[in-house]
Amino acid sequence: MFWEQLDGSLLPLVRTPGATLQVTIYEFLIAFVVLGGLAIIPQSLFYLGFILRNLWRNKIRTALTGFATIVLVLVVTLVWTVLVFLANVTSEKANNLKAIVTERWQIPSQMPYSYAARLTEGAPREPGDVRIDPANDAMTWAFFGGTLDPQNRTRENSLFFFVMEPDRFLTMMDGIDEMSPTDVERIRAAIAVMEKDVTQVMVGHDKLVAMGKKVGESMKISGLNYQGIDMECTICCELPEGRYGQAAVMPRERLNRALDEYERKNRKAHPLAAKCLNLVWLRVPDTKAFQQVERQITTSAEFKSPAVKIETASSGVAGFLDAYKDMLWGLQWILVPFILATMSLIIAMAISISVRERRKEIAVLKVLGFRPGQILILVLGEALMVGGICGIIGSAGTIAYFNLYLGGFKFPIAFFPAFLIPNEALWWGPAIGLGTALIGSLTPSLSACNIRVSEVFSRIS
Amino acid sequence: MIPIVRVTNLTKSFSRGSEKIQVLDNLVLEVPKGQFLALMGPSGSGKTTLLNLIAGLDSPTSGSIVVGDQEIGAMSESQLARWRTRHVGFIFQFYHLLPVLTAYENVELPLLLLPLSASERKRQVLTALDLVGLSDRMSHRPGQLSGGQQQRVGIARAMVTDPDLIVADEPTGDLDSKSAEEILNLLVELKRSLEKTIIMVTHDPKAALYAERVLHLEKGRLVQEVFNPPSPRLAGSIA
Repeated sequence: MFWEQLDGSLLPLVRTPGATLQVTIYEFLIAFVVLGGLAIIPQSLFYLGFILRNLWRNKIRTALTGFATIVLVLVVTLVWTVLVFLANVTSEKANNLKAIVTERWQIPSQMPYSYAARLTEGAPREPGDVRIDPANDAMTWAFFGGTLDPQNRTRENSLFFFVMEPDRFLTMMDGIDEMSPTDVERIRAAIAVMEKDVTQVMVGHDKLVAMGKKVGESMKISGLNYQGIDMECTICCELPEGRYGQAAVMPRERLNRALDEYERKNRKAHPLAAKCLNLVWLRVPDTKAFQQVERQITTSAEFKSPAVKIETASSGVAGFLDAYKDMLWGLQWILVPFILATMSLIIAMAISISVRERRKEIAVLKVLGFRPGQILILVLGEALMVGGICGIIGSAGTIAYFNLYLGGFKFPIAFFPAFLIPNEALWWGPAIGLGTALIGSLTPSLSACNIRVSEVFSRIS
Repeated sequence: MIPIVRVTNLTKSFSRGSEKIQVLDNLVLEVPKGQFLALMGPSGSGKTTLLNLIAGLDSPTSGSIVVGDQEIGAMSESQLARWRTRHVGFIFQFYHLLPVLTAYENVELPLLLLPLSASERKRQVLTALDLVGLSDRMSHRPGQLSGGQQQRVGIARAMVTDPDLIVADEPTGDLDSKSAEEILNLLVELKRSLEKTIIMVTHDPKAALYAERVLHLEKGRLVQEVFNPPSPRLAGSIA
């Protein structure tokens, strides 16, 4: 549950349609320049035209080869999206890294809120200890799950709050730099409102749509994990689509007051009152500072019951992904190579058949004076043309379909609900297509170069 | 006359399993510049093999082949390819035009291997097509042309680089008698007006009559040599 609740902060980078379009335009500009460069060499135009006409000659075979390439590029792109994202989130940064403080021996982590003040400073005790600026470089999180209708709870009427210091939303949360300036200004204004009135909350666009709510409306949230705590909230801001589209943000003070109120009403503290700090985020300048803060926190007597641990965000995620290690290994080292080999084989088959069918024509070209290298260009060119073009179509299509239409690749692994295909995939497709085409067509191309003219024509005569 | 082709003690043999097949046996031949030579003989006599060797499409087992002033038996495959582009034109029995290219593009093919500008290429292609009387069919694909027309395109392709030597392997073997006559007249005219040396393999004695000299091969050896008198039929104009 603890990790499941982290999805909002660890979603892949949001790839906006604009950014995707930009990379696509760059890619086509480069292709245009390359083709333009080729066009100024007279013979290259001939090669290009000849290759295209040969591909066009057997439309069904070209179409089937191209279709297979597109499908396989799609599968590889999806697998690599997952693998690259997981590699990114688990790779350690050297500078400006984030650390998570959690309960050492229990998942989900449930620490007393009394830990917050000292943990957000990095628990310095002696002169020379690293002191973290709690107002800028620390953030506490509690998770509050609630529903609008406790009697008839559905996915649509349930929502999940990050309970935190509102002003840290813009300074500590991930992905803010990918929001539009307008959205950031809207959120900044909403934070000011939340700091004055703790009943104000921010809710993601998708969640608002699902609940049928709008900014300015009020709602009564019944706690799911905090049983017995109901809260009246007013929606002061809509978080943009993407990473925070399903999330909601509530001021920390709001939960604190609700817990106090519960105690007043029931004459006893809420069962989670002493466990209402789920984790603390710290930002440290470098690994040396992290190691120092780690030493300060883990050796401090203040955090012994329960004991806490501190780890970098990436190692925290990596530890959790250990459970998926075998599956990820299989994806990376069995599935992807298998697909790449299949692609090479398909292209090899298509080009082999094509070469066999055109032995006479290739022999004629040799008779006319075409050298083996030039024959190689013609035959390899066909494979590279299919591989390259279908690679671009495959990757661009994958991005368009999954990112823009489906809202990401829904591959439920760990606590990541969906993966957005990165713009880099626009390079993966052509690279995969060209690479497999080159490998697959090398043998048939070389056999085309080695066709013995006298043998071909002696058979004909 | 100066020989353009000089073949000395030429032997060519193939291995089929443990069996060794001698196709050409110690053959000696000279072809003067500007001569129209026909090679005749039964199947397996070695005439096509001889043609391929003279054209640099195959390498001899032993002996020497000099074309112009080049010993072609010692050339590498790439050197031979370059040499063929400049010095030899080929005419095939089954035309072997590339079906995806137009008549113009088929004729242009060998020129793409030479350092010529686009305008120079165009001029030479148009001249070659004009020579064979197909200027009005230049944008047609081979499938849209008759057999005779395709062979004319094949001849234009063979001529377009202005080679010293034209080799033709049964150029009329796939044509009706009327088209065959037109093609043979065309070859004679090319030889006469452009002083091209032509070596033609044929089974057809009538076709051989168009040549000045006819060599008969049997079992890899020259067994008979005939010089034809000029025939009044050859005076026919090119279509």
